[in-house]
Amino acid sequence: MGLLAYGADGYGDELLAGAWVTVQLAVFAYALAAVLGTLMAILTLKPRGVRWAVGRVYASVATGVPSLLVIFLLYYGGTEIVHALLVPFGVDERPSISPFWAAVAALAFVYTPYLADLLRGAIHNVPKGQLEAAEALSVPRRQIWLGVLLPQALRIAYPGFVNIWVVLLKDTALVSLAGLTDLIAAAKVASGSTREPFLFYGVVVVFFVLFAAATIRLANRHARRLDRGVRPSEA
Amino acid sequence: MSFDFALAWDSMPALLNGAWMTVLITASVMAVGAVLGFGMCLVRMSRNRVLAAVGAAYVAVFRGAPSIVLLYLVYAGLPQLSIVRDTPLWVLFASPLFCAILGLGLNHSAYVVEILRGALSAVPPGPVEAALALGLSPRLVFLKVRLPIAVRYGLKAYQNEVLIFLKSTVAVGAVTIADLTGAANEIFSMTYDPFTPLVTAGAMYWAMTNSLRLAFEALDRRLNRHLAAGVPDSRPATARRADPGSALFRRLRRSPAKPAE
Repeated sequence: MGLLAYGADGYGDELLAGAWVTVQLAVFAYALAAVLGTLMAILTLKPRGVRWAVGRVYASVATGVPSLLVIFLLYYGGTEIVHALLVPFGVDERPSISPFWAAVAALAFVYTPYLADLLRGAIHNVPKGQLEAAEALSVPRRQIWLGVLLPQALRIAYPGFVNIWVVLLKDTALVSLAGLTDLIAAAKVASGSTREPFLFYGVVVVFFVLFAAATIRLANRHARRLDRGVRPSEA
Repeated sequence: MSFDFALAWDSMPALLNGAWMTVLITASVMAVGAVLGFGMCLVRMSRNRVLAAVGAAYVAVFRGAPSIVLLYLVYAGLPQLSIVRDTPLWVLFASPLFCAILGLGLNHSAYVVEILRGALSAVPPGPVEAALALGLSPRLVFLKVRLPIAVRYGLKAYQNEVLIFLKSTVAVGAVTIADLTGAANEIFSMTYDPFTPLVTAGAMYWAMTNSLRLAFEALDRRLNRHLAAGVPDSRPATARRADPGSALFRRLRRSPAKPAE
């Protein structure tokens, strides 16, 4: 167990730094995907029209290709993509994209449609009377969304959102193949130089299992809090 | 930022080679996952508490760990054990392909256990009791009544899981196997074209996932044909006959598969 010590003798600090990268990556990517997914759900609420069709094509692409491929694409080509996006605004710059932000953007790109699908279904499941009551009271449009519909939709979509979080968390493991020193990469270096693969990969497995379990526990507690105003028969 | 069609055409043989490897691994892992998953599901559902706990631990570890870690464990970890290193097993574990299939198979089988378990426990007691009352042996009741119904219940979740793990086969790059992503990466490192090889490979993955999805949906329709599942074509029969392709098009537009836990 001395190999897991903190400092120069062990790999404890390297593993901890790697785990921190993994957690940051997952949190940033998930937060970005949640924001974009909410926007996408609202924009593609009606199952017809141009926005719906564009959304379907995007969802089909994002859910049909592996996230690692998207990570590579944004990592190698991110500079060019950002450049092409900035040129119409008269900005002729080629910013360099770090692997971390390329991975965040790629994971957000892949998981946005999943979250949007969940949230769109949930918005449709908010009782119609809520919207009608808010409109009858002439609540402003923005407040109807932010104060009435989205909070209730989020409550309905919550279990699905937690599911996606666990899937995304495990998907972050692939970024080590794109050269990011996350937990997996740290464990690989450690096990390569100490010839103790079971110890280090075991630590990684324990980390992922426990971290997922801890977040699910936290989420369940939060879900119960969100459900406090709802009769159990309806929940 | 442009797509180079000449390069895409020239790199087709290499990419198709990689795609073949992806297909091969996917098919093998599905086979391994079905066998291991079925066996471990019986263990998981055993009345013996110890066996059931072993099954639960199997699911927790192999489902909770990212597949790339399992690949590293099988590829770098198991050869450290003398039972692997000093026996004929070594021949197997020296092959990256075998390790990849085993590693991904362990991960996939843990999902199969949970899907099958959920499906088996959702089978209504009525048909089972009826079959027992008719004097069928418990084994026959399981094989001919419970399992066929459970397969129909679990097919959708299984489809979602297979589509997710088809995409997670990119992890085999970690154990030096050149799959479709590896081939695209190789072409990138030779040409420094950041778009063409990856976008072409992406299109191939898209084709793979969607043909697999269509195959699963066809199987689902076939297994559930007694339920007449799916949205019926409400147009008049003349229009249906005139344009049979639109039915396929409608299916393609259906929402994509969601990850299942």
